[in-house]
Amino acid sequence: MLFNSLSFVLFLTIVLTLYYLRIFNWTNKKRMLLLSSYIFYGMWNPPLVILLWISTLVDWTAGKRLAVEENQKKRKLWLLLSMVVNLGFLAFFKYGDFLLENFTQLVNAIGIEFQAQPMDIILPMGISFYTFQTMSYTIDMYKRKTERARTFLDFALYVTFFPQLVAGPIVRAKELITQFYEPKKATVNQFVWGLFLLTIGLFQKVVMADTLLSGTSDNVFGANKILHGLDAWIGTLAFSGQIFFDFAGYSTCAIGIALMLGIILPDNFRYPYAAIGFSDLWKRWHISLSSWLRDYLYIPLGGNRHGITRMYVALALTMLLGGLWHGAAWTFVIWGALHGLYLVTERLLKKVVKLKVNNWNGVLLALITYTFVNFTWVFFRAREFSTAKDILSSMFFMNPEGEKVLQTFDIIKVFSVITILFICHWLMRNTSMKTVSLKTPPWVLGLVWAIMFFLICIAQGSGEQFIYFQF
Amino acid sequence: MNLKKTLLIALILGLIAIISWETYWRSQGYYPNLDDNKELWAVQRAKVNQLTDADVILTGSSRVLFDIQLNEWEAETGIRPLQLASAGASPLPIFHDIVENTDYTGTIIVGVTPGLFFSTTYPLALPWDWPQTRVNHFHNRTYAQRLNHQISLPLQKSLVFLSANEMDWTDNIDLKSLLKTINIGDRVMDPMPPFYNFFDTFEDRNTTMTARTVNDTAFANTIKKVWGYYGSTSPPPDKEATMAFFVKDAKKFIAKGGHLILLRCPSSGGDRIGENHGLPRADYWDDLLKQTNVKGYHFEDYKQFQNFECPEWSHLSAEDARFFSTELAKIMIKDNVINITKTN
Repeated sequence: MLFNSLSFVLFLTIVLTLYYLRIFNWTNKKRMLLLSSYIFYGMWNPPLVILLWISTLVDWTAGKRLAVEENQKKRKLWLLLSMVVNLGFLAFFKYGDFLLENFTQLVNAIGIEFQAQPMDIILPMGISFYTFQTMSYTIDMYKRKTERARTFLDFALYVTFFPQLVAGPIVRAKELITQFYEPKKATVNQFVWGLFLLTIGLFQKVVMADTLLSGTSDNVFGANKILHGLDAWIGTLAFSGQIFFDFAGYSTCAIGIALMLGIILPDNFRYPYAAIGFSDLWKRWHISLSSWLRDYLYIPLGGNRHGITRMYVALALTMLLGGLWHGAAWTFVIWGALHGLYLVTERLLKKVVKLKVNNWNGVLLALITYTFVNFTWVFFRAREFSTAKDILSSMFFMNPEGEKVLQTFDIIKVFSVITILFICHWLMRNTSMKTVSLKTPPWVLGLVWAIMFFLICIAQGSGEQFIYFQF
Repeated sequence: MNLKKTLLIALILGLIAIISWETYWRSQGYYPNLDDNKELWAVQRAKVNQLTDADVILTGSSRVLFDIQLNEWEAETGIRPLQLASAGASPLPIFHDIVENTDYTGTIIVGVTPGLFFSTTYPLALPWDWPQTRVNHFHNRTYAQRLNHQISLPLQKSLVFLSANEMDWTDNIDLKSLLKTINIGDRVMDPMPPFYNFFDTFEDRNTTMTARTVNDTAFANTIKKVWGYYGSTSPPPDKEATMAFFVKDAKKFIAKGGHLILLRCPSSGGDRIGENHGLPRADYWDDLLKQTNVKGYHFEDYKQFQNFECPEWSHLSAEDARFFSTELAKIMIKDNVINITKTN
């Protein structure tokens, strides 16, 4: 089920009504939320709920044993079981076809005739999110960093909680399960603020991403032509905005919906296009994934504890795998590798160049960071390397005779949206929406809210899915 | 921060804006209309599995969609046909889907619009991709999509502003379409003339040409320009591949016990001239009948159908379509090629 759909409006209304009617005690409210979450997921493809159940059962059992088991070998085996099941799901459902395709190419390259039938495996929505979330529980249990969930119901709800089930934020057990222990009810202010966040999230998705930007990026990346430099840049800028609004929009909706239930989810984005440098970027973009990768990949790989070379290798490897997490294609690996390269280069540069960042050079550095981020988005969006190569060569103005595919209005529209986006991110860099809202008169905030609501209604999204669902 | 006050202001202003927007578009002559989208098509496709041998399925391109009126057909035969035709589409993918993926052995009337029927079997070409997308959607649609569609129907029937359309009509009024109408300079020329919606759709996909298309010649001329554009830019027909593809499916359907009828609906003016020139009857229609060995109805063969004037050259007005449907049903009943359940 999509947040930007009529069925979700109906679903949420029913859930909120049942949640706030005084017919259920807290345990039954949690049961209702769990059932609703399965319905939310099953409305897409009912049999795939079984994967959620398996993941839940395995990690609940593993966590239970890890809580009491003292034998280190057995503890490792329980952790291994959790990892094998969750990563096994990912490997089969997400990377099965990719692995088979690469295996075929490899054996063909060494002269062995082999043709495999594509397996055409369906990709369960949000599998990368919920497997990472539930794995974080068993890993934390193994490291004794979190306590065992008190009841199976609390744990199952943690794995399946519908607002963040299919596209995050990826929440740690201690952040979410503990909230299920005591009855939760949103205050009026929390409820209204949650509704406001839901509106902002939908506005970002339906109006900004789908209506204003997606057409231009689709036009450019689907052109299959050598493009004029301006078109290539505008298409890439449009995609940079589209993916931000699409994903941040989903996270904002998730946070808002959870808040309407009295549950607090962590921020997932903090104005990332105002980042100064790439370390800063990853503290602002998809925060729940970057902190997951840091805690469960980068640090276990050695982090910065074993010298500079090992640190750089760990960093690069983390970003490579982070790239692959986003999709089963080499273009995503290159996207991750570029970010790894940026991070390594930034650390090397910081040793040589000592710079005190102020407002003046800060905005320039943010602009440089954003420009380099755009080069990576080319690989993220392009389905083929050849497309990425053509777009990049056009972006470096190597194709002055390239074809023009965008209307003047498209160029003005995207340039205006992206400029406003960048300025907003820069102005909001060190603050939050809540802080700004507190200083804003109710009539101004009400007017902004009404405009967003109106634009969502007249935009009437096509109801197509969020980009990050496929990850 | 007074959030309750903020919410109240947002609700009042939001409602005023929506009501004003709705009122404005109604004042511009818009009225609620259903989107003939893949969801609406899939609901009809899902009914195929419940049909009996006495039933009738209509498929083809937009001519069958416009020209066969379900009410008149039902009044004449007692059977309401299932409308599976798809505008701008080759009928081949949908017919193929019914033959391959259902046990249906009743009657299928396949509309033959020569320019589309014989256009292509290339999967990425628009006349093929468009109906195939509908077929794929039927097989893959989620329960959430089905529910969205059911909830959206009463809204589409009541509100003008909720009229986002699967077709990229020039007069769509969703925000994205409105932005597309803004043109500055001529950096990229779009050779496609403006294409305005010219039909009304009902829940069972019964479709009628709008009154404006019939009464406003200038408006009808804009549609003629679009047919002219397609006529001048479409690749040449691929008779060999399309014929082979269809004949194979037709034979399979007949072997299963199905009853296939081909139908050539009326066209006039420039469209007919173009069709007679580019896809002459003897080479295409007659050959198709010969190769499939099924009963076919060509409008030219019936006196009462010979003098239709299609307002935009390609489809019948609602009034003519009603007459055409009634008369065609009578002819088919007389020929004993369709079942009737009507008792009087």
